[in-house]
Amino acid sequence: MVSHSRCAAKRRCAFFAALSAAILVSPLAARAQDADAFHEVETKYIFGSFTFGSSTGIEGEKAFEPETKANFGKGGGHYGVGQTVLEYEYTPTQYMQIELGPSVSFYNIGGVPGLDDRNLATLNGFEAEFRSVLIDRNPSPIAVTLAVEPEFHSRDETSGAKVVNYGLEIKLEADAELIKNRLYWGFNLLYEPETTRADFGVWERESTFGVSSALALQIIPNVMIGLDLWYLRHYDGAAFNSFTGDAVYLGPTFYWKIAPKVLMSAAWEAQVAGHEPGVSSALDLTDFSHHRASLLLEFEF
Amino acid sequence: MDPVALTPVSSMRAFLRLALFGIAVLFPSGYAKAQNASIAISVKDHRFQPAQISGPANRPLSIRVRNLDSTAMEFESVSLRVEKVIAAGSEGVVNVRALAPGRYEFFDDFHQETRGTLVVE
Repeated sequence: MVSHSRCAAKRRCAFFAALSAAILVSPLAARAQDADAFHEVETKYIFGSFTFGSSTGIEGEKAFEPETKANFGKGGGHYGVGQTVLEYEYTPTQYMQIELGPSVSFYNIGGVPGLDDRNLATLNGFEAEFRSVLIDRNPSPIAVTLAVEPEFHSRDETSGAKVVNYGLEIKLEADAELIKNRLYWGFNLLYEPETTRADFGVWERESTFGVSSALALQIIPNVMIGLDLWYLRHYDGAAFNSFTGDAVYLGPTFYWKIAPKVLMSAAWEAQVAGHEPGVSSALDLTDFSHHRASLLLEFEF
Repeated sequence: MDPVALTPVSSMRAFLRLALFGIAVLFPSGYAKAQNASIAISVKDHRFQPAQISGPANRPLSIRVRNLDSTAMEFESVSLRVEKVIAAGSEGVVNVRALAPGRYEFFDDFHQETRGTLVVE
């Protein structure tokens, strides 16, 4: 079972290595194309919507953004859990962006060891995000934005059980333009402490640390493909107190500016490596899912 | 049924505390109030005139855009982080933060082929 997972992980690694090689080599061929056809892009969503670029939008811009993130696969049975945040995004200044919105969760869980079976769709809390430019791209080659995202949820994001959950996702979102208007590199650093009150009224704290690296290539005007790599570590305790497991996610990303005021961004990632203390498995399917996906649409108005 | 009862008021209060913390951490301490340098540009037949404008580095800029066409235009720039809709036959002022030397693209978001460049030096 373990060796089968390792073989599958190796096949996935080979596929993603080939994809990343294609992304890295294709700009050389693409240089010959008409450079005037490619213009600068807002980088926030070009890496999918697990890794974010540094752009904070355009002053006065308002947008509606339904953003869905889903997780698939646990240790057994069937597991599919998603959350859609219906975000209102506003950029009040040339340095800052605000997002606010309720979240709706979907649970389809059956026969997963340690989790109750559940088929449910429910309103599940509220999220906000405040993003501020720390370092501008020019003259620095790297642009950096600080994002702080307070969250409240009334359902556990993994099991769907009723809880009271507060989280504060803090991220450094950086990017660099490797080839003007064509190839971009993104880098995120994540710290997310959470506190949750479940059964028995006891508050439990946990925290997640993460680091990501992503590439995005504009293959034709307004369309980008890329590759996203995440390393995540999960702990009991708000300040990395007790390590419970880690995971490496890797997968392709897609970005399409459909119209001047409409875009979509998507990503699909597989856990290609992981570790859970005391468990002899090549993945950590307790703290993390086997696959995860994201789909974001933006309608500017 | 889980024994925990949700208390929406206290939940919302705690959430607002977190949100206020986010605002306090992230709002910039303030803009340096320097005199804006003024730049003029027109749009006619869906072309910027001139197509290249220039301005001083490290000073806020006011770009006065006159739309001489019979349709509305939206002056927009990703790197300048500004946008402004300007009705047909009218003008608008776009305020831009102090910039480092470099070239900054701008365009008409309603007519994407209408493009120009701001050179800051």
